Amino acid sequence: MNILAATIESLGAKVVGWFAVAYGMFAFLTKAGLLLLHRTTWNRATFDVVVKQVYFTAVQILHVFMGYTLVISWLIITIILSTARDFGLTEFASEMTIRVLVLELLPFLTALFIALRSGSAINTEVALMKVNNELDALAHCKVPPMQFEFLPRLIGGVISVITLAGLAGLLALLMGYLAIYGISTAGFDPYTQTIAKIFDFMIVAGLIVKCGLFGLAVTLIPVTAGLETPKKLFMVPVSVLRGMMRVFFAIVAIEVVSLALKYI
Amino acid sequence: MARVALDLPLRANLSALDNIALIPLYQRHYGAAESARQAQAMLDQLGYADIALLRDPDMTPAQRFVTQLARALILKRPRLVIDRPGAMLYDVPYPVFIRQLATQTEMTGTWEIFDFSWNQALYNQALHSE
Repeated sequence: MNILAATIESLGAKVVGWFAVAYGMFAFLTKAGLLLLHRTTWNRATFDVVVKQVYFTAVQILHVFMGYTLVISWLIITIILSTARDFGLTEFASEMTIRVLVLELLPFLTALFIALRSGSAINTEVALMKVNNELDALAHCKVPPMQFEFLPRLIGGVISVITLAGLAGLLALLMGYLAIYGISTAGFDPYTQTIAKIFDFMIVAGLIVKCGLFGLAVTLIPVTAGLETPKKLFMVPVSVLRGMMRVFFAIVAIEVVSLALKYI
Repeated sequence: MARVALDLPLRANLSALDNIALIPLYQRHYGAAESARQAQAMLDQLGYADIALLRDPDMTPAQRFVTQLARALILKRPRLVIDRPGAMLYDVPYPVFIRQLATQTEMTGTWEIFDFSWNQALYNQALHSE
């Protein structure tokens, strides 16, 4: 009986914990959203920090990211093409390539890439700022941490994921064309017609929203996980571990919901 | 009231200049160049112009204290409280050091030092040495 009670108690505590985390994130997002609408937020200082964030998150890694996209795209396109040829489905190869790579795989991998590189860094930095009282010091100096530290990271994350996923998609489209039709221009008409058929308004809007949500997940979750860190230095790795697990689950959940909405 | 205290540290990933320039930038909405100029002027006034580009982990306790003090001074609040300076300036005779800094600044308002009573002797010593 005691074991049952303890199990229920621990399960209940976990569920309450999840709700508390979700509420914390929602409250933080609401605060950030309201601040975005505030006129004073849009000053030169905040803009400069946003530009710096986009530089560190997207521009600094552009060459590595494009190289990685090139390799992944080439491999996936080759697999799809050879499988399509084996099953006599060559006419569907271009559509399958675009759907698998541009709409699903590349945005997902972009989000994972940014999460591993920038999300973990954001989580660690915010946790250290919390532990070292740097946030209290900023508040004492009346420098709003939300405007100076957090909001630029959220905006930078969203912009970075959308632009990197867009660039990766364009590169994959080009690679797809080259793999299917080679350097001949003969396939330009059917290929662009396939692209136009796939990318209707709803699909493009859905893709942008999905990438935006990925961008929010890889920045909002690390920031809130960092802010939850107790003021003990040894809790920083635990905070990063928790934050990154949440980011992973959030990315997978966004992808699953997006697939379900599109195909079910 | 502006406070200089161990529990109000600098932003570790910003230089001394950027830590100070944050105040005019965010509070008085000056541009980045003007904020940096004001911050540099404050460091010049305290006699520590050369620490502008140092970040917190690269500073000596005295340099860190001066940056924190400059950040507090640029707030332009009427009262400045230095809270337990011995915790921040553990390798210099701090009553003399703070007195020297105070004479170099043009700040109006009061400076107050909160310290443990058993350190009173250090302040008496500093007064007598003058």
